[in-house]
Amino acid sequence: MNLLATFKSRRVYLPILSLLVVLGGWELVGRSINPLLFAPPSSIIAMFGELIASGELLAAAKITMQALFLGYILAVIAGIPMGVLMGAWPRFGDILQPYLYAIFSTPRVVVVPLIIVWFGIGFEARLFLVFFWTAIAISVNTAQGVRNARPDLLEVARSFKVGRYQMARHVLIPGAVPFVISGLRIGAERAIVGVIIGEMFLQIVGLGGIITTASSQLLPAKMLCAVAVIAVLGTIIVTTLDMLEARFQVWRNDSN
Amino acid sequence: MKTLSRLETRRDQLIGVALFLSVWEVAAQLFDKPLLLPPVSAILTALWDLIISGELITALGESIFLLIVGLLVAIVIGFVFGTIIARSKTAYWMLNPYFSALFVTPTIALVPLVLVWFGFGFTGRVLVVVLAAVVPILFSVASGLRDAPGDLIDVARSFGVKGEIPLLFTVRLRAALPVLMAGLRLAAGRAVVGMAVAETYLRLGGIGGLIKSYGAVFRTDYVFASILPLSLLGILLVSGIGRIERRLKWS
Amino acid sequence: MENTHITNSSTGTSAIELSGIRKTFTLSEDKNAQQVLALDGIDLSINQGEFLTIIGPSGCGKTTLLRIMASLILPDEGRVIVEGEAVSEPDIKRAMVFQTFGLFPWKTVLDNVVFPLIVRKYPAQQTREIAIQHIKQVGLEKFQNAYPHQLSGGMQQRVGLARALSTGADILLMDEPFGAIDAQTRELMQEELMRICQEEQKTVVFITHDLNEAVMLADRVLLMSRGPGQVREIISVNLPRPRTEYDVRAHQEFVRVRGHLWRELRNDLIEQRTEEMV
Ligand SMILES: Nc1ncnc2c1ncn2[C@@H]1O[C@H](COP(=O)(O)OP(=O)(O)O)[C@@H](O)[C@H]1O
Ligand SMILES: [Mg+2]
Repeated sequence: MNLLATFKSRRVYLPILSLLVVLGGWELVGRSINPLLFAPPSSIIAMFGELIASGELLAAAKITMQALFLGYILAVIAGIPMGVLMGAWPRFGDILQPYLYAIFSTPRVVVVPLIIVWFGIGFEARLFLVFFWTAIAISVNTAQGVRNARPDLLEVARSFKVGRYQMARHVLIPGAVPFVISGLRIGAERAIVGVIIGEMFLQIVGLGGIITTASSQLLPAKMLCAVAVIAVLGTIIVTTLDMLEARFQVWRNDSN
Repeated sequence: MKTLSRLETRRDQLIGVALFLSVWEVAAQLFDKPLLLPPVSAILTALWDLIISGELITALGESIFLLIVGLLVAIVIGFVFGTIIARSKTAYWMLNPYFSALFVTPTIALVPLVLVWFGFGFTGRVLVVVLAAVVPILFSVASGLRDAPGDLIDVARSFGVKGEIPLLFTVRLRAALPVLMAGLRLAAGRAVVGMAVAETYLRLGGIGGLIKSYGAVFRTDYVFASILPLSLLGILLVSGIGRIERRLKWS
Repeated sequence: MENTHITNSSTGTSAIELSGIRKTFTLSEDKNAQQVLALDGIDLSINQGEFLTIIGPSGCGKTTLLRIMASLILPDEGRVIVEGEAVSEPDIKRAMVFQTFGLFPWKTVLDNVVFPLIVRKYPAQQTREIAIQHIKQVGLEKFQNAYPHQLSGGMQQRVGLARALSTGADILLMDEPFGAIDAQTRELMQEELMRICQEEQKTVVFITHDLNEAVMLADRVLLMSRGPGQVREIISVNLPRPRTEYDVRAHQEFVRVRGHLWRELRNDLIEQRTEEMV
């Protein structure tokens, strides 16, 4: 734990250096042109302190995370079994696939008018925005994993005369795990975007709500605080899933 | 153990679609709440109306123009910065954090800032598409060029290809092409989202604006009728690039 | 000791007996699809304890024949009899070793070797002991807990071999098992395989595309001819055991058999090319 040596590594000092340059430049330019509009870092930090002190930011983050996690968990619970069904019963999967693909490729902002007439603008509507697209991502990937079992390993298993249950337990499911996890990851990205859309367009609450309100108050510093929290939240979630992926795949990559 | 042929799968899918649409139509007619669930026939009528009035064509044209300009700008920026971070470790460590942060931040959350800083004009809208699409292109350029095939470069040099630029075009770019196309495919999907966001949030226009304005007056049939071409646009774009990508793959 | 293979060949019922095996494949899924005749009436009797190698041009149906012997696929016509009984499903008497190793990447070496045993519901403690014993037999005791991707090709195939041995099967069916392994390692593994199979009195059917390997290992070499797959010739190799690459190569019998096989293979390839040109 030699601190000096750590700072000599350029993967540490270069990003810090570049951050200092960018933030410093921003501070100077922002201040000299229009400190309110161009929100120099000092004003963002001040704003951040204020939002923390008033409890507004934490309350918003809590609301965002409630919808995010509940929607995500429901999507996992529904998506994985659905994907297994679609994979194990390819005919069913093939028939369903085009709809899922079409829904998945439709930008969610344009579906907002439909969600308003179906679910209103409350919690259920926001939950649906998180749940539905995440569930699609998870189920489609899971199905792919179940269907793409390696034929050579299926043959190995058959040569040892394994039964249906053992085929699933030793060959199909372990082989599908990487696909499921990548579905969980894509799903998480979708879920984060979904929760923010819901908060910006449906019910003006949570972190997305802060962005919308700050935008109408012309307070970029406040918006940037919320954006930063969202980015950090997203990074934490995605990194956690990456670690999960690595843990389930010791057999895949060298762990160096 | 029997696997279905492509033809049989297509047939099943067609039957599935026909069945789905019929059930929808009948259910919607019985349910009789066109606000919540307009019948298929009403959606088709609305689509036809949008087509002959020219509204849809104008909107699509506007959207596609925005999409193409945004993608082109994203490609140029992506190539420049992708090449820089592929060739220089210093540049990589200095720039990568921003691109990674941009990648995890939902574009939608940045749009209000674009509005404040760049306004809702064409520049602002293009910028939203670029913000959505640039990172996958940039990363694919960087990784495609970094993993250049050393053996093939040696082959080219031994047969007389000299200099960095000729090597870039004869070997490096060609070898990176599948990766670049994969990045472009991802970027195109995100660009369509960015386009829809720009058109609904910044200034109502194009197909996104069409959808939002019909949503505002609760014409669900027209909302469906205008979402349809937008989804189709995204699917065609992404699957078209995917098709080229598969043809470029040699392994 | 000298003529073990001959004593083996003369004992009792055959290990595997094939009669009138035919197999056609349908190429695409369309109705008017092309049919490929892969095996056209194969009759063959393999003695217990025999080491039979199969050689032939690629695409002549070797793998298909082996998969039929393993009951992984069924012939369109003909019968497969293993140790006196007609078979139509994989069973405990036969174990397969695959060209691409067929190791489960998510299982450690030990778990891969244990796999056929837990499938057969052996008691847990016993399966572990059996597996470890066979991992030792192929010299991988230090790598029990490694994952396949951490091993070289040669080591991976040792795991494949240990897995087949752990089943206790009398018959080993091997499809170009050393095809993807470098030449030096391959020679070492050939010797080990011969040693193990002789010690444990295994019957082995071994596909290869390497003439030296075919002659070196075999009690008999089966030469298949191309299109449609038929037995062209079966030739005995009267070389003393134990054999090592070094002494065998210079042996007159080795040179004779190898030369003969090479001429036949060559004729087959030339015939085929002229047929294609006509
Ligand atoms: N599952 C299959 N489907 C269609 N054709 C097959 C299949 N397996 C083998 N064949 C065909 O049968 C012939 C013999 O193949 P194979 O037994 O693999 O030959 P070898 O192992 O001698 O190279 C080849 O023409 C091959 O294309
Ligand atoms: Mg073969």
